[in-house]
Amino acid sequence: MAGPNTKFLVVDDFSTMRRIVRNLLKELGYTNVDEAEDGAMALSKRRSEQFDFVISDWNMPVMDGLTMLQQIRADAALSKMPVLMVTAEAKKENIIAAAQAGANGYVVKPFTAATLDEKLSKIFEKLEKVGA
Amino acid sequence: MEQPFPPTAGAPAAPGADGVPHDEVLARVGQMTRMLHDNLRGLGFDKLLAKAAHDIPDARDRLDYVAKMTEQAAQRVLNATETATPQQERIESGASHIASRWQAMLAMSCTGSQCRALAEQTIAYLETTRADAGATRQQLFDIMMAQDFQDLTGQVIRRVTELAHGIEQQLVQLLVDYAPPEIRRDSTPGLLNGPQINPNGNADVVSNQGQVDDLLESLGF
Repeated sequence: MAGPNTKFLVVDDFSTMRRIVRNLLKELGYTNVDEAEDGAMALSKRRSEQFDFVISDWNMPVMDGLTMLQQIRADAALSKMPVLMVTAEAKKENIIAAAQAGANGYVVKPFTAATLDEKLSKIFEKLEKVGA
Repeated sequence: MEQPFPPTAGAPAAPGADGVPHDEVLARVGQMTRMLHDNLRGLGFDKLLAKAAHDIPDARDRLDYVAKMTEQAAQRVLNATETATPQQERIESGASHIASRWQAMLAMSCTGSQCRALAEQTIAYLETTRADAGATRQQLFDIMMAQDFQDLTGQVIRRVTELAHGIEQQLVQLLVDYAPPEIRRDSTPGLLNGPQINPNGNADVVSNQGQVDDLLESLGF
């Protein structure tokens, strides 16, 4: 499923971080990227647009990334959507909570391009195995 | 000022059901609190509290200013790297393309020694250009990645701002509860106020160089 047409949704309340992730994805060959400022905006975007992959921050106003993830997993139409958390929350309990909520991966800020690349490849690899 | 505490002198030391003299404990705590209160006032701590409560919004504004300025700086850097990266990509691929055409020319129709020398020189230059443009693009990428500090410092500043807001509210409540009504803010602004973090809405402050020039002109300078 991974390819130049894979559509990403980047969710972060800091526009600087959204731009950085967008540029990173471009460098990795993914140019189809949309952005949302918080979980609620991401879910409402999802109602009108189709996305293949969500990269989300945790700590955001209105709706945080974990709540958004839980809502995605609870929604039959979205439950299979891959979600990668990219967050400054670095406590073990956070990582466990995200995993239990069904996150496909967890990257702690600050992160490098190589880390993001590696996590994305791993997630795509797993999805292909499941799909095969 | 009215008495916020109950009179404590001569309170009876009646033991409670479990033998602990509750009244005595309460009386002692009351006395200590009254003493502390009087001492604080005597030392002028109420004024210090008032000053602290007054200073916190100012400190918060300064932190907001730091957050705003660092975000603007990060955005400017991202604007620049996003503009320069495709330019470098164009230089890189253009140099590569023309170098290969010169190579073909060298193999086919460039027989004179002068032509050969120029072709070789051009190819070498284009090779360097291609490599330099690629390296510059990598540097631009690093510069772009380094702007992630703004997200992290921004989150920390937000935390501290919220903390300061909480302390401020508690201090203000403390003052409302215990300060004498005649307390007045000691406001004697000096000349060393630093960068203006919120020039709009403050008539005493200029927000741009035009206003500085206008003011000086109106004063006859």
